Amino acid sequence: MDLTESKKGNYLVVKVAGRLDTSNFGELEKRLLENIEKGEKEIVIDCSELNYISSSGLRVFLMVLKKVSATGGHLHLCCLQDTISEIFEIAGFNSIFKIFVTLEEATK
Amino acid sequence: MEEKTITLINQIAQLEVLADAIESLSAEWEIPMSISLNLNLVLEELVTNIIFYGYEDADEHKILIHLSFTANILHVRIEDDAKEFNPLLQSEPDVSAPIETREIGGLGIHFVRKIMDDMEYQRIDNTNVLKLRKKIT
Repeated sequence: MDLTESKKGNYLVVKVAGRLDTSNFGELEKRLLENIEKGEKEIVIDCSELNYISSSGLRVFLMVLKKVSATGGHLHLCCLQDTISEIFEIAGFNSIFKIFVTLEEATK
Repeated sequence: MEEKTITLINQIAQLEVLADAIESLSAEWEIPMSISLNLNLVLEELVTNIIFYGYEDADEHKILIHLSFTANILHVRIEDDAKEFNPLLQSEPDVSAPIETREIGGLGIHFVRKIMDDMEYQRIDNTNVLKLRKKIT
């Protein structure tokens, strides 16, 4: 898994590329929590190059969503590949996450 | 068709071995990428459960995953010597709960149920034997 951070307006964009699983979810969790502690409230996770996620990865997304929502911030997801979309649907995550088709829409 | 066996030990780092093995088997059996990734997910969830919750000692244990693919049906059989665990008895998570009460527990077995067509559990001597099947169209 590779993580890339960038700023787009008010949004912190974290691009997660590769596989997010039980062996590496802690890395993403740590990075996102550090940013939330620094005061980032508007976060976008760019999933355009994420090609595998398991429940450990979903746990990080849910934890971050709960944390930023509690401080009045937002978590947006964008650019989910079909296989990831399918997993989100099975998990019932489509109803609790704001998911956008493009990064532009997610950072509007 | 011959049966293939993936042998793992009870360490999370072995998920990489699992992913590589599934990728090469899928290529050999011409299983579409989307199904291959879902199979990887199902096996990761089950193996992770076994590693995290299955053992009361700190010893090394083997987890065997037998796979075969005949007449468009993928057969999976997982054998481990962890403590008795019947995934069929696990309660379903509420996947429509709002953010505030949404929990992640139980999602792994939920994926197994939704992705695979059927699941059969047996405790044989000191071994958990879980059989899964999926029709690949």
